[in-house]
Amino acid sequence: MIPEIGHIFLISSLVLSLVSGLGSFIFKKELPIRKIALLMFLLVFGSFITLIYSFVVDDFSVAYVAQNSNINLPIYYKFAATWGAHEGSLILWILSMNIWLLAFISFDKNRNTNFSNIVFGVCSLVIFSFLLFTIFTSNPFERILPIPPLNGADLNPSLQDFAFTVHPPLLYFGYSGLLLPFAISISAMLSGQSNKDWASSSRPWTLLACSFLTVGIGLGSWWAYYELGWGGWWFWDPVENAAFVPWLLTVALVHSLIVTENRNLFVNWSLLLSIFAFAASLLGTFLVRSGILTSVHAFALDPERGLFILGIFSFFVLGGLVIFAFKNSTENKTSFYSLNSKEFGLLLNNVLLVVLAVSILFGTLYPLIYEAYTGGKQISVGAPYFEFIIFPFSILLGLLQGIALYLSWGSTKSFNFLTKLILESLSIFLLTLVLLFVLFDELIPASFFTIFIFSWLIVGSLLINFSFKSFSNYLDFINRRMGVLLSHVGMALLVLGVGVVSSYSSEMELILDTGEKIEFLNKDVELLDIKDINGPNFISKTANIKVSDSGRTFNLQTEKRTYFPSGQVTTEAAIDTGIFRDFYISMGDNFKGDSWSFKLQSKPFIRWIWLGALLITLGTFISSVNVLRRKS
Amino acid sequence: MFKKSFSLILIAIIYSLASANEPKVIYPFEDSAHEERFLSLLNELRCPKCQGSNLSGSNAPIANDLKREVYRLVKSGKTEEEVKTYLIDRYGNFIVYDPPFRPDTYALWLGPLFIFLITLSIILVILLTRFSSSKGNQ
Amino acid sequence: MKRFLNLIPLVVFVILVAVLYSFLTQENEQLESVLIDQSVPEFKLPALENPNNILSKSSVNKLPALINVWATWCIACRIEHPFLMQLKNESTLTVYGLNYKDDRKKALDLLEIEGNPFEFSIFDQQGKLAIDLGVYGAPETFYVDKEGIIRERHVGALTQKVWKEKFEKYLNEDNDV
Repeated sequence: MIPEIGHIFLISSLVLSLVSGLGSFIFKKELPIRKIALLMFLLVFGSFITLIYSFVVDDFSVAYVAQNSNINLPIYYKFAATWGAHEGSLILWILSMNIWLLAFISFDKNRNTNFSNIVFGVCSLVIFSFLLFTIFTSNPFERILPIPPLNGADLNPSLQDFAFTVHPPLLYFGYSGLLLPFAISISAMLSGQSNKDWASSSRPWTLLACSFLTVGIGLGSWWAYYELGWGGWWFWDPVENAAFVPWLLTVALVHSLIVTENRNLFVNWSLLLSIFAFAASLLGTFLVRSGILTSVHAFALDPERGLFILGIFSFFVLGGLVIFAFKNSTENKTSFYSLNSKEFGLLLNNVLLVVLAVSILFGTLYPLIYEAYTGGKQISVGAPYFEFIIFPFSILLGLLQGIALYLSWGSTKSFNFLTKLILESLSIFLLTLVLLFVLFDELIPASFFTIFIFSWLIVGSLLINFSFKSFSNYLDFINRRMGVLLSHVGMALLVLGVGVVSSYSSEMELILDTGEKIEFLNKDVELLDIKDINGPNFISKTANIKVSDSGRTFNLQTEKRTYFPSGQVTTEAAIDTGIFRDFYISMGDNFKGDSWSFKLQSKPFIRWIWLGALLITLGTFISSVNVLRRKS
Repeated sequence: MFKKSFSLILIAIIYSLASANEPKVIYPFEDSAHEERFLSLLNELRCPKCQGSNLSGSNAPIANDLKREVYRLVKSGKTEEEVKTYLIDRYGNFIVYDPPFRPDTYALWLGPLFIFLITLSIILVILLTRFSSSKGNQ
Repeated sequence: MKRFLNLIPLVVFVILVAVLYSFLTQENEQLESVLIDQSVPEFKLPALENPNNILSKSSVNKLPALINVWATWCIACRIEHPFLMQLKNESTLTVYGLNYKDDRKKALDLLEIEGNPFEFSIFDQQGKLAIDLGVYGAPETFYVDKEGIIRERHVGALTQKVWKEKFEKYLNEDNDV
């Protein structure tokens, strides 16, 4: 009964979104868009709740529950299993879109103007198309009748983890948040809203979407690190790239909107970036769910669903670009800016970010292109390629970001700041090198470039040498620009983390017997014992390891788990986290008896990567809130 | 079973070669340059059977077999290129994450640079023409 | 001019959609073998049936033939086994086995119980020949034509359907001349 209610809610929201979406374009006068948006949200939310309910009560007559859950699954995972596979995750996506729409309308002062109506209309139609897709090809409420199974297949063991309860929802919020800048840009083109107005309208939502995307991607990286068991934190996996590309475009958009709002420039850039960012997020959905990519992330699906998503993608993106091609030019006087201006700096920023995004997308799709046009030959494009490509862009973007806050609109009067900037960056660079030498006993030249960029970014973000009348003035300045500072400093920390962990990591793989002790990087590592332990839905071989590190002794556990229904085996790594390094041990293979291989790794500064991502998340969130508050 | 008996042999060899106090490194090297090459290769070679994983991060049987093969090759002095060619001859380009630089992959390697230069040129041209004419008007 | 520039993004995305569409209509689940159009690699391995009998490339002399990679731990191999028996009995093809990373006794027992479609099986316990053939799992089947050249490789169980679609044409070619 309950699933049927969920199904009915879904169908109702389908009808409502279509009618109100079309209606907002046809009826240019007042539509109660706030009430409609609220109703749509409640319907989809209600539907979502019925699905969660079905999981929590183990209703295996619902096919989706049977495929993704199990009686022995701990309750918090039953809850999260709702978004464990394709059908349920679509409901989550649709729910996110509804929340964004509701939020936009709630904060929108200009309710019931043509502009707001069209934003509402575009959002409704996108929501409608996803609902159509869900109900007709991916319905989570389908029943297995007349004889429902007694137990379910189980949630994929790699998903049975805390991060699974937060990573997908946050990431989906980020992805779906790009709907608003898209809808706003379409509405801007159709309603003739002034550039300053629509750009200022779009900016907080773009910032917020960026915030969620950043934390979503950061969580994914952190999760992969401790879950997959071999110490990597980014794999250039096609699905990861599918999230990175919209992130890059969103960052470009955030900056482009600043110029559009303040200087009435980069109008076409901002419009196109709004469309591209949304297109990239739809493309991500397409790649993951169409079955054309091999990836641990991909939902194993058929091309027919891919076709539907491609249809949605074509309709909205191509539709938006048609509108762009034929819109009336709102060119008023173009203000002049020289090559040393903030405008030009941000223009370079746009170009670099967009070209990088396109390159990553191209590299991701290249194996498919290659296969299609060489009659079946296969090729892999992985880390070596992407690292090669991203390096020059990071250097250029890093250098740009360092000076960006010193540039002025129109023309920068003096570049005196450069000398001080270079000197101070060099100082911080040398200090960091000293620190690294003290911590790790070596200096690795390959890391120098990245560490210098880190120093450059720190000085540039904190405007350490900008002349302020007094320290309290400086504090005041920091307070007002908190969002920007946090984001930019976060970027600096991320760069530092990446640079150090890429060069300073070390590893050793060996076989240990019970009671055996070895030395790894001045630490004594002893395998105490290997026990068999029963978990709620798995059996585990748990290795207890004692580590002695200059006076400090601690125990770590690493496991090999075999999950009941599926038989799938996962590795749970043992991690001793530290601000300056992670010590990482994972169980490998079983040799004879209780002899197991272990991989020991040192990952220096890896936490700084996620700390940086967290600061960027906070910074963009604060900026967004500040803009919203300022407007109301 | 098959793997265990082979591993027994491997362990026996390692045991007999190493003193009792030395760690039983699975893939021991005397030459640290060789060890670096080995580790680097494990990161750059793809497991043919896994869903997007390199040899370093996989314990699938074929991945272990290939690790042993790479170990054997590196130990015998083969360069990184030679090991990669050896595997490409058997598994195709799929097995290396680093796509080759050949006529059929020029677009891949040169594409980004090309796009960047073109975009930059277009923009500079637009800017210069726009501002030279408007400068005349100001 | 401006109108022309504004159309560029649209054109680019139309191309993108076309490219994505073409990906959807492709079907590929296995790695294409690079051994195609090459001869069987040289090897020196014992036979499963008799450990003293050291086989080499020249032992694979009854051509055209199939080389089938199999093992007792491979479940799909059990599914294709009857069809292999059928091929052995009903066609002019010789079927050679490559026993992949297996236990000798278990393998011999299995052939005893289920029947032996193989002229002989190469006992490749360490998977050396398999690596030289680019094998990454079991079952896999290679078609070797009458000149000793590998013409096709299939990953997965060899069924009637797969035979018809991928291999039959090579046998017809070999029989035509």
